[in-house]
Amino acid sequence: MSDKLKQIINKQGDQQNVAMDQLDDIVQLVGFVIGEEEYAIPILSIQEIIKPFTWTRVPQVPSYILGVFNLRGAVIPLIDLRAKFGLQTKNQSEETRFIVMRHGDDVAGFVIDRLTMAIRIKKADIGPAPDTVNGDDTIIEGVGKQADKIITILKVNKLLERDF
Amino acid sequence: MDEFQEILQDFLVESFELVEKLDEDLVELENNPEDLELLNGIFRVAHTVKGASSFLNFDVLTHLTHHMEDVLNKARHGELIITPDVMDVVLESIDLMKALLETIRDTSADAGIDVSACVVKLDKITGGSGDVETPVAVAVEATPVVEEVVETPVSDDEPDYDSMSPDDLEAEIEKLLQERQAEDKAKRNAKLAAGESVLAAPPEPTEEASSAKEEPKATPTPEPTPPPVTPTPAPVVQKSTPKEDPKAAAPAKRAPATVEQTIRVDVKRLDHLMNLIGELVLAKNRLIKINDDVEERYEGEEFLEELNQVVSIVSLVTTDLQIAVMKTRMLPIGKVFNKFPRMIRDLSRELNKKIDLELAGEDTELDKSIVEEIGDPLVHIIRNSCDHGVETPEERLAKGKDETGIIGLKAYNEGNQIVIQIDDDGKGLDTDMLKNKSLEKGIITEKEADSMSEKEAFGLIFKPGFSTAAAVTNVSGRGVGMDVVKTNIEKLNGIIDIDSELGVGTSMKLKIPLTLAIIQALLVGVQEEYYAIPLASVLETVRISRDEIYTVEGRSVMRLRDEVLSLVHIGDIFEVERILDAGEHAYVVVLGLGTSKLGLIVDTLVGQEEIVIKSLGDYLKGIEGVAGATIRGDGGVTLIVDVVALMQMAKDVKSAPMADTSSAAAITEKTKPSDYTVMIVDDSKTDRTIMRKALEPMGVTLVEASDGQEALSILKAGEHNFDAMLVDIEMPRMDGYTLASEIKKYNKYKNLPLIAVTSRTGKSDRMRGVESGMVEYITKPYSADYLSSVVQRNVNFKAEFL
Repeated sequence: MSDKLKQIINKQGDQQNVAMDQLDDIVQLVGFVIGEEEYAIPILSIQEIIKPFTWTRVPQVPSYILGVFNLRGAVIPLIDLRAKFGLQTKNQSEETRFIVMRHGDDVAGFVIDRLTMAIRIKKADIGPAPDTVNGDDTIIEGVGKQADKIITILKVNKLLERDF
Repeated sequence: MDEFQEILQDFLVESFELVEKLDEDLVELENNPEDLELLNGIFRVAHTVKGASSFLNFDVLTHLTHHMEDVLNKARHGELIITPDVMDVVLESIDLMKALLETIRDTSADAGIDVSACVVKLDKITGGSGDVETPVAVAVEATPVVEEVVETPVSDDEPDYDSMSPDDLEAEIEKLLQERQAEDKAKRNAKLAAGESVLAAPPEPTEEASSAKEEPKATPTPEPTPPPVTPTPAPVVQKSTPKEDPKAAAPAKRAPATVEQTIRVDVKRLDHLMNLIGELVLAKNRLIKINDDVEERYEGEEFLEELNQVVSIVSLVTTDLQIAVMKTRMLPIGKVFNKFPRMIRDLSRELNKKIDLELAGEDTELDKSIVEEIGDPLVHIIRNSCDHGVETPEERLAKGKDETGIIGLKAYNEGNQIVIQIDDDGKGLDTDMLKNKSLEKGIITEKEADSMSEKEAFGLIFKPGFSTAAAVTNVSGRGVGMDVVKTNIEKLNGIIDIDSELGVGTSMKLKIPLTLAIIQALLVGVQEEYYAIPLASVLETVRISRDEIYTVEGRSVMRLRDEVLSLVHIGDIFEVERILDAGEHAYVVVLGLGTSKLGLIVDTLVGQEEIVIKSLGDYLKGIEGVAGATIRGDGGVTLIVDVVALMQMAKDVKSAPMADTSSAAAITEKTKPSDYTVMIVDDSKTDRTIMRKALEPMGVTLVEASDGQEALSILKAGEHNFDAMLVDIEMPRMDGYTLASEIKKYNKYKNLPLIAVTSRTGKSDRMRGVESGMVEYITKPYSADYLSSVVQRNVNFKAEFL
C-alpha cells in the first residue's frame, strides 16, 4: 500500500533536492491534534482544509461517520476522527477544522480538533510504526521524530477505506 | 488504417440501424406481399450492406447479402411470390446477417459463422441449383457494387459504368460530385437572391439526400417521399435512400461536408453536459432561495424588482436549457418497438396462435439510458402476453372472439412520465388461480391470500419464482422474467400498473420518468431533518390526527377511504432522534409501488422541488433506504429516499409510529443560587445590562444573547441548563415570538418559562406573547425588584438563598 505514499514522498524528496540542494529527502506533512495526540498526514494528500459547516446525518452508519456535506457541488462523507479513535466526542470549537483528504478517487472530510503546522521532516527521522501495531491493518504509516516531540503519521488510504 | 476504422464504424452504425428497421418491414411485407415500395426498401438495405461489406472485404457477409439481394430482387420484379416459407428463409438470412455484423463489431472480421446452408436455401428460392461456391474474390464484387449504387436511385440515364475500371469510376464519381455541388451552390445562391427565405427550408433534406446520391439531378424537384426524419408507417424506403449511398461513396473520398442536418455526438459529451446542467439547476434553486430571503429583508426596495427579473430570467433559461439538453438525449421509443413485430411473428408461429401487434406512439421520446433499459422488460411482458394471455385460435373461436388475438403496444406522455401500455385481448388474469399457484409455491401464506385485494393478486405475477404456465415452454413458464421486469422498471424509478378482466384481457402500464438524473421530489421534514421522496412514487398526502392511527398486531395502520393502509414513521426507518415534540397532527405520504402501498408518517411537508440525484460515493454506498443525495437551494445536502428499499424495511419496523417520547427532563437539585441559569435575550446592550444589574444580586448565573438566532443556538448547544429566559420581542434576525415558538417545539423546553420583556404594550402584543408560549409579560420600564421577583417566581427560587 505504502508504495503510493512512498512514491509521493520520493517525488517530494526529488523536488526538495532540486530546490534546496543540500538537504536530502524531506517529507512535507501537515500536523493536527486530536485529543491529546499530534498526528500528521502528507501534505499532498490534502485537498483542502475548511472551517466547519453544516452536514447532513446519514442513517445506519457507525457513529464516527457524522454524515455528508456539500463541497462545492460534490457530496462528501464527513468522519469524526475523535470518535473513530475512540475518544469522547466534543463540541466543535473555533479551532475545529475539516480536512478534506483525497486518495485516488476517494475523498472524505475529517473533523480534527485543531491544526498545528506544516512540518518538514527528514525521511531518515521517520521511524516505522511500533511493532505492536504493525501489519496491514494499521492506519499508522510511521512515527516522525522531532526535536521535542514525536508525531504519528497516518496512512491516508487507510483513513479513506470503508471499514464497516 | 484510421480511415478504415472510421469507415468501419460508420458502416456498423448504419447497418445496425438499417437492420433494425428491416425486421419490421419484413413482417409487414409478409402481410402485403404486393407492396412494391416496401420491397424496394428492403432490397436496398440488403443491397447497401452488401455494397459496403464488399468494399470492406467482408466476404462472408457479402456472399450472404448477395443472395438475399437476389431473392428480393426477384420478388421486386414480380418473379417470386413471398410465401411464409420464403419469408422464413429470408428472416433466417437476416438473423445471420445480424450475427455477422455483431461479429464484425467485436472482432473487425466476419469469420466464424457458417452461412452456406442459408445461402443454399436462398439460392434454391431464386431457382438456382443450390450449388453455390463459398466466398469469392473481392475485386469481382467491388465493381458491381459501386456500379449498382449509382444505379439504384431513381434516375436512369447514366453512362455505362460497367466498362470502367474502379479507379476511373472513382474519378467519375468525384467529378459528378463536384459538378453537383457547384450546381447546388448556384441554386442556393439564386434562391437567396430571389428572396426565397423560409420556403427554402423544406426542400433541404431532399437536397441533402440527392446530393449524397451523387446524382446530378435537379435539386428543388421535391421527391415524392417525405423528408427522412419523420417516422411514417413505411419509413424504411425514405430512410434507407439517403443513407445507403454515402456509405458506398466512402471509398471515393467523402465529399467535402455538404449540408449536414444531423451530427453524431459522443454520449459522454452529452452526459457531461447533463452534469453541468445539474449543477446549474442547483445553483438556480439556490438563487431563488436567496432572492426570497432578500425580498423579505429589504421589502419595498427598488432594486428588488430588478433582482427579481434577473432571477426569473435565469430560472427560466435554466429550465429551458435543461429541457433542451434532455431532449438531445432523447430517442424515440420506436427504436425499441421495432423489434417486436418480428418477435410476435416468430412467437405466433411457434405457439400456433394468431396474434396481431398494434403499435402506437412510436415517436414518443425517452432518455437514451431508459430506452436502453426498457427493451428487455418489454420483451418479457410481450412474451408473457403471447404465451399466457392470448388463447389459441380454437379457444378464441369457442369464446366467440376473433380468431386473431391482438396485442397493443403504445407509448404516450403523461405529465412528467412516459407511459408504455401493453394490452392484450386474451384470457385475463384469474385472481383465484394466481393465489392458488402462489400458495402452492409458498410465495404467500393462506392468510395473506385471503386479505389480498384484486390488484395485489395481480401483483403476484411479479414475485420471484411465480409461474402459471402448466408446462415450461420455450417461450416462458420458468418463473423468471416477470420479477426481473419489476426490478428493472423500479430501477428506472418507474412503476407498473396492471389491470385485467377475466376473459377480456390484460392491460399493463409501465410508468417511467422522462429522465434519470433530474427528478421531481417531495421534500418532507422529520424533526430537524429533511428527506426527498421521488414524486413518481407518491400517490397522495393526507393530514391525520393521532387518534386516526390504530394498532393491529403491533403494526400501525390507518383507514384511507375504504382501504387499510399500513403506516411507518420515517423517523423509525432512518433512526431519527426525537427531540422535537410531535404535534397532534402529522402528515402521511402515501407511497405506491405498483400494487403495494405504504403510508409514511412525516412531521412536515416542505413541498415539491426539482432535485439532481448525486451519488453518496463509494465510502457510503449501499445504505439501505437511501437512493442518493441532492444539494438543496440553501447548499445543504438532503438524502433521497429509496422507496423500494423503504417498503422492505417498513416490514421490519414494529414500533408504534407516534409514541409519546416526552422524556422527563433531568432535574438536578439546586444547592446554591448560581445553579440557577437564566438567559437574557435582547438586541440592546443597555437593556441587557439593566436586566443583568437587576438579577445579579440574586446570585444566579446569567447568559446573554443578542438575538433569537443566537439564543436558539446557545440553547441547542446544551452547555447550560436554563431555568428561565428573558426575551425581548423586537430583535433582528429572529424576533421574540418566533424564538418562543421555536423553543416550544422541543420537548425538553416545553416547561421552560419564557418571560417577555418589551416596550410593546398593546393588547394584541400580549395575546401574541401568550400564543407563542410566553408565561409572563413585563413591559419596559420596570423596576429591578419587580423583574427579580418575577424571575424568582418562575424559577422556583428557593427562599433560603435569599
